[in-house]
Amino acid sequence: MAPLTCTKLSLITIAGVVTQIIGLSFFVFGFFPVKPALPGTSGSESFYVPACDFFSNQSDTTLPSDQLKSLYQELSGIPPSFDRLILMIVDGLPAEFVLGKDGKPPNKQFKEAMSYTQSLLASGSAIGHHAKAAPPTVTMPRLKAMVSGAIGGFLDVAFNFNTQAMTDDNLLGQFFKIGWKMVMLGDETWLKLFPGLFKRHDGVSSFYVKDTVQVDQNVSRHLGDELSKDDWDLLILHYLGLDHVGHIGGRNSVLMAPKMKEMDEVVKLIHSSINQSQGNGQGRTLLMIVSDHGMTENGNHGGSTYEETDTLALFIGLRNHVFDYVSVINQIDIAPTLALLFGVPIPKNNVGVLIREAFDSLKEDKHLRALELNSWQLLRLLQAQLSGLPCRNFSCDAFYDHQSSGSTDCDHETEDMLCCLYMEATTLYTSWKSKRGFESASNKDYSSAAAAYYKFLKSASEWLSRRSTDKPVKLLALGLATMFISTVILSSLMFCRLREIYHGGKQQSLNLNDSMNGWSLDETFILCVILILVSSMTSSSMVEEEHYIWYFLISTFYLLLLRKTAQSLCAVRFQSSFFTQNGQSREGYFRMCFVFLLLTSGRVLGGWHQGGVNWTSLPDISKWLEQAGSQHVKSLQLISAFLVISIGLFALFSIESKGKCFQMVRLSFLISGLLVLLHITKYQDYTFSSTNYGATLLVQIIYAILGVATIGTVVALPWVIPFSTSKICPTDNTISPLFLSIHEKFPLVELRDSLYVIGWAYVLCWCLLQLLLQQPINTTPILLLLLQILAGTLYFARSGTHHKEWVEIAAFYYLGMAGHFALGNSNTLATIDVAGAFIGISSHSTLLSGILMFIITYASPMFILLSLVMYISMKNMAHLVIPEKAGPGDHLMMMLGFPCLLPLVINSILLTAYTVVLLLMQNHLFVWSVFSPKYLYVCATAVCTYIGVFIVAATGFYAYFVLVMRKQKPYSC
Amino acid sequence: MKELEKNPQSTISSSQVFFIHVCCGLALAAGFWVAHHVYSLNLVFDPTKTLCLIWAIEFPVVILLFSCCRQKPEKCSYFTAIARGLLGLPVGALLNALGALALGAPVGLQYLEKTVNWSLLMSSFTFVPTACVYGSSWTDWHRIFACTKPNGPLEFMLCLPAHGAVIGAWFGAWPMPLDWERPWQDWPICVSYGAIAGYVVGMVGSFGLALIMHAGRKQLKAE
Repeated sequence: MAPLTCTKLSLITIAGVVTQIIGLSFFVFGFFPVKPALPGTSGSESFYVPACDFFSNQSDTTLPSDQLKSLYQELSGIPPSFDRLILMIVDGLPAEFVLGKDGKPPNKQFKEAMSYTQSLLASGSAIGHHAKAAPPTVTMPRLKAMVSGAIGGFLDVAFNFNTQAMTDDNLLGQFFKIGWKMVMLGDETWLKLFPGLFKRHDGVSSFYVKDTVQVDQNVSRHLGDELSKDDWDLLILHYLGLDHVGHIGGRNSVLMAPKMKEMDEVVKLIHSSINQSQGNGQGRTLLMIVSDHGMTENGNHGGSTYEETDTLALFIGLRNHVFDYVSVINQIDIAPTLALLFGVPIPKNNVGVLIREAFDSLKEDKHLRALELNSWQLLRLLQAQLSGLPCRNFSCDAFYDHQSSGSTDCDHETEDMLCCLYMEATTLYTSWKSKRGFESASNKDYSSAAAAYYKFLKSASEWLSRRSTDKPVKLLALGLATMFISTVILSSLMFCRLREIYHGGKQQSLNLNDSMNGWSLDETFILCVILILVSSMTSSSMVEEEHYIWYFLISTFYLLLLRKTAQSLCAVRFQSSFFTQNGQSREGYFRMCFVFLLLTSGRVLGGWHQGGVNWTSLPDISKWLEQAGSQHVKSLQLISAFLVISIGLFALFSIESKGKCFQMVRLSFLISGLLVLLHITKYQDYTFSSTNYGATLLVQIIYAILGVATIGTVVALPWVIPFSTSKICPTDNTISPLFLSIHEKFPLVELRDSLYVIGWAYVLCWCLLQLLLQQPINTTPILLLLLQILAGTLYFARSGTHHKEWVEIAAFYYLGMAGHFALGNSNTLATIDVAGAFIGISSHSTLLSGILMFIITYASPMFILLSLVMYISMKNMAHLVIPEKAGPGDHLMMMLGFPCLLPLVINSILLTAYTVVLLLMQNHLFVWSVFSPKYLYVCATAVCTYIGVFIVAATGFYAYFVLVMRKQKPYSC
Repeated sequence: MKELEKNPQSTISSSQVFFIHVCCGLALAAGFWVAHHVYSLNLVFDPTKTLCLIWAIEFPVVILLFSCCRQKPEKCSYFTAIARGLLGLPVGALLNALGALALGAPVGLQYLEKTVNWSLLMSSFTFVPTACVYGSSWTDWHRIFACTKPNGPLEFMLCLPAHGAVIGAWFGAWPMPLDWERPWQDWPICVSYGAIAGYVVGMVGSFGLALIMHAGRKQLKAE
């Protein structure tokens, strides 16, 4: 196999990365479909034909609620059949328990438990439905679906974890607009979803799953009181106990029948009270009993099996009508049904279809009008999804001409078919309307119009809901395959490099340590880490507690380093009796000290934030400090910031060179360091009130100085660095004669010197940015991270050939990930520091805030990647160079090959593995709460790796080519 | 073979290995038995006292047995070896505790007793036997623990159970962060279980190796 040249290597790497990005975007777009949701809320325009509405939404939002209510009633043409609604939610009740399955009656035990409800069903005063819920069958998304009629996409759920209040158009919002008074008793999820909407509420937490009694008593204790009052229009009762019973004992728990009996008692109480109040003329009340999701045999839920998605929708109070069948509806159908029954506009993004049985008791014209309203609403949604929907114009004026087209060609393309079905229905409706006045208006016309409407509604609803839940399998497979290919490309490149370096150059490696050729423990461990990570990703609790894995593995690696150092230390001791080599022995002790520094700082970092999900309440250093008082936090922050700045400046000032350029670099970093300290002392308490003009200005000045200084250093330094024998880079203590001979041809020493300075510039710039942006409590972790990086770099620089280079870089990568969690990040979206993202931004800008948020969240991995520039300059790689064949590219490849390739390889392996895990877990209970946020983090880590590696590679290439140019034309500059 | 001739004591028969290991294992079992039947304690419900009982029974047995195999018996009396073992116990405990803390063992006063008792037990698994046999001979420690290149059944007897205990404890720590809500997930219960399991596996392995090496030497002699 031909040896890799530098150009070839970089081209293939770039190709691999590009392939990966393409694959990732395929997968992300396939897995997280972005459906166009209509903004805003439905108003009076929903009572007019779509596309002809020139009525602006503004007009009726300003109306007072009672006027709005009468306006809606007038426009809709359907007088509300009820005045009040009682919505009783029995959490986790499968419809099977009440209605039976496949025409069979329910379990005898359950039937007896709910005897009152069963009697209502038998007499026809209750109408039950199997309502099919869409996954995820978890309470909050289900409640949202019920009140808005929309099916949330993957990203909707993922991004709504922080802002829980429901902002989409929904029934409760509509009711609130027309001035309804609402009362909520039960699960506090409602309060999170609709803060401020309820007149009275008593929320119970669903957190204590073991409690099956108190949760429901807390709801029922208000019941008598509330039922006797008449100041509410909507009463929501959310009973959690049955779900808790399921979680403890499964479907066949001994507690199940008593709990259902309890629910039956509640139904009985409410129903009798409704009957009483109806007699008193307090208005008609509809009781609706629904469940948000079902449960599996074991009582779990979240997935998409029949047991979990089979939920109940039971109307009590509609006119007596015995149906000899139990129809299956969708859970989202509840929203339009209730909206039409109570005379409010259907929520804008509703995908549901009104429930036929609920409207059967209405007059024919009212029923058809309801169908028409529902069709208009769905048509609006269709128009938003299909911008080229052909019947857009017809619906207004042209479709009268189209009557002749008839009902024959309604079976081709989706869009045409939907359009055709709609027009068929409208045509039949208009003909029924025109005939209504005459005697010939027959029942047949009515039923055919209704049937046509239902056909359109059903197919439109199906098409819309499929669009928001279906995942394009081909796109996913393509994305995954592309990512897999790129992983293979990158790893095979990596193995080629490994083989060339460690096996191709065997004749040179005679003078090297034996460990260079053997397969040592630390290499095995580094590979095992990847395996452990990949396998731990399949477990949801391991994903939640991922930081423990990183801390554990990275400290184990440090202990292995300690062992390795001890090995060499003893070997030196053993030798020293024969040869007196005190210098080597001292090196060993230095390395020992660095490992101890790594271990202790790593342990402190690990204990700084108690991350994850399950153990966040345990004490940690940050909580302890915050309890101790803000002045302690402040002083610690100042000390740490001062130390960070002085370490960085010390490194810059200890460079012996006195050139103008160096002075400029030093001066600008000194100034920005002082400004950051000033900002910390003066303003950091007020950053949350982002109105402080002085603070913003100061931060902007710091940004500017840092940016100019860093970019200036990178661009200018290779041009001005002196060609001389004096070294800048401190650790290069073993220049072999071999290395010197290469140096005559190539500017290697200068390259390393300039990379050393540039590396420090990067590190210092990044540290100062973090000191500015991170929360005050995170300043000390930044210092510890810097110490870890320095100790690691110095350790590896001094250990020479004891470790292979790829082991060191992999260790750095892991260190970066451990640091990521040590800064308080976790795999839930809740830990992202949003407050910091507005520091120094004077006007609101999503892009700038996003960049700042990325800088804060990915502080540690990026830090590591940037410090690799410094690592490259300090690592003694003279032993790797093959002098005879060495061309200009080979040196560059030696220096940049692993630092650029290895992070990409590790990242792509983890990314691809996690993509597979996500595909496997797409029906898992926690896919929404655990796996999907983690995937977003994994994608962001991939982006971070690309950016960091690009910076490292670009810096290296630029500096090298500038220096080569200067070397070839020594007098030109 | 040169090594063996220099240290005649390091030849140890497989029956001796078997005897020592069985005694150590029995001491461990006795510790559990006493804890369970005499004091009705359990590692899960009272880890501090149980661990204390176990190491208190285990370490005298270990010191007494391994001091018999001390190197250079002409220079070092039996009592010196015992003293070395007694000194090795706290030193090893300190090292084990530091290692555990570095790996993430919880810090705090409520964990102090548990950590101390756990590290004393670990010390009697790992540190005390070698301290009895080799004292403070740096080269031997280095060979056995830093380089993991033991030779002869005696050194395997020191090396394998110690490494087994450490590796077992490392694996034992894995269930700790999981949300299974089991009482045994607390520090240091599952780590102790892991360490004990690893120790037992190490002893079995060491005995097996001793048998094999013995057979090999016999064959060598026969030839």
